[in-house]
Amino acid sequence: MRVAWLVSGGSVLTATALFFLVATQQLPLSDWPRAWSEARTIDEIILVYGMLPRAAVAILAGAALGLSGALLQQLLRNPIADPSTLGISAGAQLAIVIATLFFPDVVDGSRTSVALFGAGVAAAIVFALGWRASFEPVTMIVSGLLVGVTSAAVSAALTLAQGEYLMSLVTWNGGSLSQQDWAVTNALSVELFVACALAALLIRPLLLLGLGDSSARSLGVNLKGVRLGVATIATMLAGVVAANVGLISFVGLAAAAFVRGCGVRRGWAIIALAPLAGGVFLWLCDGLVQAVAGATGETFPTGSVTALVGGPILLWLLPKVRTLSVSAQSNRPDVRVPLSKGIMVFFAILPIIVAIAYFLANTGQGWVVLSLSDAAELAPLRWPRLIAAAGAGGLLALTGAILQRLTGNPMASPEVIGVSGGAGLGFAAALSLVPTAGPYTLAIGAATGGFCAMVAVLAFALRQNMPAGKLLLTGIAVSSLSSSVLAVLMAAGDQRAWQILAWIGGTASAATPATAIFLALLAVTVLGLAMTMIRWLTLFPLGIPTAKSLGVPVGGSRALILALCGLATGAASVLVGPLSFVGLIAPHIAVRAGFITARDHLVASFLLGSMIMAFADFGSRTLTFPYELPLGLFAAMVGAPYLVWLVGRR
Amino acid sequence: MLASRAAAQPAPRVAAIDWAMLETAVTLGVMPIAATELIQFRKDAVEPALGGSVVDLGLRGTPNFELLQLLRPDLILLSPFYTRHQAALKRIAPIVSLPFYIKGEPPFEKATSAVTVLGEHLGRSKEAATALASIENSLIECRSKLERFAIRPTYLVNVGDARHVRVFGADSMFGDVLSRLGLPNAWKERSRYTFAAPVPIEQLADTEDARIVIISEIPVEARSALRNSMIWNSLEPVKRGRVLMLENISPYGGVIAAMRFVRLLSAALVADAEAAQ
Repeated sequence: MRVAWLVSGGSVLTATALFFLVATQQLPLSDWPRAWSEARTIDEIILVYGMLPRAAVAILAGAALGLSGALLQQLLRNPIADPSTLGISAGAQLAIVIATLFFPDVVDGSRTSVALFGAGVAAAIVFALGWRASFEPVTMIVSGLLVGVTSAAVSAALTLAQGEYLMSLVTWNGGSLSQQDWAVTNALSVELFVACALAALLIRPLLLLGLGDSSARSLGVNLKGVRLGVATIATMLAGVVAANVGLISFVGLAAAAFVRGCGVRRGWAIIALAPLAGGVFLWLCDGLVQAVAGATGETFPTGSVTALVGGPILLWLLPKVRTLSVSAQSNRPDVRVPLSKGIMVFFAILPIIVAIAYFLANTGQGWVVLSLSDAAELAPLRWPRLIAAAGAGGLLALTGAILQRLTGNPMASPEVIGVSGGAGLGFAAALSLVPTAGPYTLAIGAATGGFCAMVAVLAFALRQNMPAGKLLLTGIAVSSLSSSVLAVLMAAGDQRAWQILAWIGGTASAATPATAIFLALLAVTVLGLAMTMIRWLTLFPLGIPTAKSLGVPVGGSRALILALCGLATGAASVLVGPLSFVGLIAPHIAVRAGFITARDHLVASFLLGSMIMAFADFGSRTLTFPYELPLGLFAAMVGAPYLVWLVGRR
Repeated sequence: MLASRAAAQPAPRVAAIDWAMLETAVTLGVMPIAATELIQFRKDAVEPALGGSVVDLGLRGTPNFELLQLLRPDLILLSPFYTRHQAALKRIAPIVSLPFYIKGEPPFEKATSAVTVLGEHLGRSKEAATALASIENSLIECRSKLERFAIRPTYLVNVGDARHVRVFGADSMFGDVLSRLGLPNAWKERSRYTFAAPVPIEQLADTEDARIVIISEIPVEARSALRNSMIWNSLEPVKRGRVLMLENISPYGGVIAAMRFVRLLSAALVADAEAAQ
């Protein structure tokens, strides 16, 4: 307890000291009263209209995010719920990106409504996805991640499709707190006041919800109404912060975690104290950013600092997360289809895709069928990307199928094991350290990054008693860290940012004959290796105790399987970017089509994934010819409706 | 002898992936048959005007290799920024890759030497020499014309949003050209982020007697917020009306962008001085 108070007091003191350190450099303290009553010189104006509102905004935005996080955590009984981990902030970001690109007049004035709309849609999707799993924490976070990944992919794709390096968007993404007047302060304080009042009204029924649904209902709580109300308040808080200061992640997570770490256990106390902790936390981070900027002249957005702190906090919280086993059996159809039939269908469709890829072209004026000689001339350009895309699709789909079986969680997919996040970090590092990085340097960088991320996740996986669901969370922590670092680099703002955006979007055009053949061989090898693990993958979905009693070495087999998945995802994302969705969707479709046993499921997912990606490559190449669309956008176009469908079905 | 041979040669079929190289080719009198992102180029760079026959090759980050293949160029122009695609492009046609923007180094001299080097590649050394001489001449001419404006330092900025600007330091094309015109740059710091530093606008308060030159139009979504911004309006140059607006110029261009900047800047300075009298 005493340590907790020391840390709290120390944080407040440090934040205050940092603020006065920076502010008195601007204007001596003795001049403050005069500046406050009438600011005339530029130094006085910067203090009164720049620095003071900046401190106020830091505290208010931190408090809003802290409250939002604490409410979501209480509502979902999930210690890692936060507007950023639930994808709400990313939804707000996507809405602003879309509005900036297509309706700039709307953003100039009603930025807040735009962000609130995006936040609301994202929250609605994540909550609807979690509904079926009774808001089980891991499912909620994985859904949030998928919504976040989709939003980021679509934002990147749109930014690229515009062909312009949009500085304002990128700066906004990083979360910059700099202010020019008191407008944002006023908006945030009104909103925070309203939200606090509403939260105070709902706090009793919200705490009763914690007793369990039936107890709460018997005490006269309107379950739906309370849930909807609390979720709305939390989303509104996050949306308004996103509109005014940009993407600041993990504050809600850190604030509530800190309050609990101080020994506070009562629900109402956590909700009451989290805004204070959030305010101090963000003020402290902003003070550090300003002090560093003052000392070295380097400016970077405050959001980047909170994100860097957030990843480790997420890892630290993992042991506290409750996990329920989601039944993987529920969506199995009754009819089993023999694998040979699936393979026949594959070989029937394959020639059609190849023919389309080779002979159909969009000239910009219309669709034409190429002559044999034209097709022959273009063939050396087309086959490497076709093979690379198919190979990557197969690898990702296989990984998805393996992970879904291993964890028993239908939302598991390659991006959640953190390998593509790590690959992104490595890619960015290679770009930053080598001024004229060629394809091999970038590939080596991405592979190294992916490998490091995988080792980190494996280190966690080797702990025997860790439930499978937490594996996913480990991967998510790595992914979050990586995406925040990428956001910082983009906020740093030179031409490298543009290459990072292109990589996030995903493209097969960088594939060469050598890399395509490598990817294809690797895909077949990984499929072969996966076939040797069929017994484990058949037994894992039955539960860890069952698997153990049947002689599966849980820790070792899990590490081997994950190493294979890491290799597959790493290779795929090094060559064609961190493609989303194919790893999620293909295994689902395969199961629904009737490929039920572990062997059938894996092979069918692999074939389906490679077909989907081969076709997506054709689409990305031709749809907006000559401007190439990112592969990731295509995958997201397939994935988003699929998620909606998943929500709609019982 | 040389001239007659050059005239007899048909114009080489050149495709430009890099915008600065595109400008360099046009400077030598070679209109490329294809170049990247023409929609954006016509909007952002404006000059040189490109004919309707120039084929759009798609995004700079992912140029359309197939279209390029079908066009059968003799030569592909790029810069080290596109090293990632170099191998793929080499399979289509010979390439020339010249550096323009290297971290921390002033780019103007690189742009002029690119004219010379590409002139040699295309057998147009004479055109290169003529073009460089005329660039040199107009720089000298403008330098003496703008001498009287050197009493004030100049901030060269590009508005990002209502709270942030890019500031062009000595290692940018505009900053480099500004100092060649004999005008002091008010932004003394080395730009840590080479070409673009997303700088909060209050940092423009350091040099009170400066003028602010805004290069390229202000984004629509930032206009009203900037107009109402307390700090922007209390910057000395803004209060005293020492803000000049220039039309769009490509920040990563070659000699044509540099000379467009020279022309627009001197026109704006002179017009402003005349209006004040």
